[in-house]
Amino acid sequence: MAAIEISGLTKQFGTLIAVREMNLSIDREIFGLLGPNGSGKTTTVKMLTTLLTPTEGDAHICGYSVTKDPQKVREQISYVPQDMAVDPKLTGRENVIFYGKLYGIPKPRETADEALLMLELADRADDLVKTYSGGMRRRLELAQALVHDPEVLFLDEPTIGLDVGGRRRIWDHIIELKKKGMTVFVTTHYMDEADHACDRIGIIDKGRVVAMNTPTALKTEICQDIVAIRADGTFKGIFPEGVSYLGRSGDELRFKAVNGEEAGVALSRAFTDDGMNVRSVSIRQPTLDDVFLALVGEQDETMAFDFQRFRTMLRRRR
Amino acid sequence: MRETLYYMERDFRRWSRGKINVISALILPAAWLIFVGLALPIRFTDNYLDFITPGILVLTMLGASLQGGALLMFDKILGFLQKFLAMPAPRETILFGKILFITCRGLIQTTIILVMAILLGAHFLDPLLLLQTYLVLFIFGVLLSSVMTTVALSLEDHDSYAAFNSMIAMPLFFTSSALMPYDQMPGWLEVLARLNPVSYAIDAIRSMQEGIFPATTIAGLLIGAVIVLSVSVYVFRRATV
Ligand SMILES: Nc1ncnc2c1ncn2[C@@H]1O[C@H](COP(=O)(O)OP(=O)(O)O)[C@@H](O)[C@H]1O
Ligand SMILES: [Mg+2]
Repeated sequence: MAAIEISGLTKQFGTLIAVREMNLSIDREIFGLLGPNGSGKTTTVKMLTTLLTPTEGDAHICGYSVTKDPQKVREQISYVPQDMAVDPKLTGRENVIFYGKLYGIPKPRETADEALLMLELADRADDLVKTYSGGMRRRLELAQALVHDPEVLFLDEPTIGLDVGGRRRIWDHIIELKKKGMTVFVTTHYMDEADHACDRIGIIDKGRVVAMNTPTALKTEICQDIVAIRADGTFKGIFPEGVSYLGRSGDELRFKAVNGEEAGVALSRAFTDDGMNVRSVSIRQPTLDDVFLALVGEQDETMAFDFQRFRTMLRRRR
Repeated sequence: MRETLYYMERDFRRWSRGKINVISALILPAAWLIFVGLALPIRFTDNYLDFITPGILVLTMLGASLQGGALLMFDKILGFLQKFLAMPAPRETILFGKILFITCRGLIQTTIILVMAILLGAHFLDPLLLLQTYLVLFIFGVLLSSVMTTVALSLEDHDSYAAFNSMIAMPLFFTSSALMPYDQMPGWLEVLARLNPVSYAIDAIRSMQEGIFPATTIAGLLIGAVIVLSVSVYVFRRATV
């Protein structure tokens, strides 16, 4: 039996269907749930960690149902939520020992030391957490989550708000955990990270899983060249034959075509004829980002949503 | 249930690391007692200090509980509660940990007031009386901190909690028997005062000052506490975030 079995999982908030009919089977791998903000990632994780009751469907973690046997589920899992929560007035060690005791493990102190060592926090373990950087706090949260050696680890956007080095370190640790046989369910909206680290990826959009496969397979499904063009003005004409529009990412328009070079020339000619000023044309192999754009569409709303989230956070803190 | 102690220990550690918290919690109630007990020229009874001390003890406990509910609100807003709820520890231990911390912190505050009151001449230096007083204060603290913690769990944000808090704090205070005896109250106030749980706790301590064990009043408080605890445990077990 797989560590995570999801069948027909659905969550509805009023009229909004946040997660729709999700079916997945995940076992001893890093599974990345990828989607823009508001697509239902956190809602999914909360249902799997018994924090939200599904409207319909069910999920089994190590064979235990999240709806019928939530207590057993909680014994198998660890959950690191999207918003960081460590006690700034306690030391790193105290933070981890507290979790060890709560999980009821036999030797909380020794195990906490091991966890701190593994996450490279041993030398700062006795400092108050308020002196820790964002990346260190995230690693401390991982240490807390790992003291009871869970079968399944849920990480909701573990790298959000961290710098490049901090992100890489978190992913290195996640990959280590998988090698030890842990099942890791991770959500993110950073494509490049998911591409590197995840064994399989599910792409979720408006609550629906629209694609599910290994990163390589997802990229070969597109199987064509990507033409990216930066240009000023709006295009009113029709695109050349054999070229299809994927969407816009920032100020870049993206197309896919069987022959990228020919399509690039044809597109830039068509744009110029239409009175636009073409600034750059580039041709490359597809990345997960392009897969995402092709499946989910433009990501501009991401920014707006992030901004709003940021404001609510500020309001809460006040 | 050992988890209850771990949750309480966490709150005590965090509390003791904020110096200003400790100072304000310990100094202010004592200052208040000196002010009310000595400076106010009212004389309802022979020894106003003996009369007012039970009121101040109970109101201190009330204040501690009303303030204490915010702890859970912050755990919720800052995301700690989400983590706790996903852990195998029984969820009601989160509630019990908070109740114990809030009540014990309140008992520390009331102890300081008791010491001050005794130094100022109140007649409280009787082991049985002290024991019974602590018992009443403990039951009262459990009752109210359980209510406030559960209210904090159910409300959306800290603003609503603050609103709820101020909505009930004033009426509980002014319609209690803390400031004057029943025979000095207008009729309508007496009715309210006799229904107010704050008065129950105060009256219980006052009876004990006179050497009477207030069995029915304490039973009333206990029944209230058991009902409130049962509801709170039910709410915590089913909590979603
Ligand atoms: N408690 C809630 N009540 C109502 N709507 C909610 C609630 N939680 C989430 N939503 C909505 O469900 C959708 C999915 O949210 P979420 O799972 O947080 O997305 P993500 O984690 O992918 O950013 C969003 O449209 C969000 O506004
Ligand atoms: Mg989210």
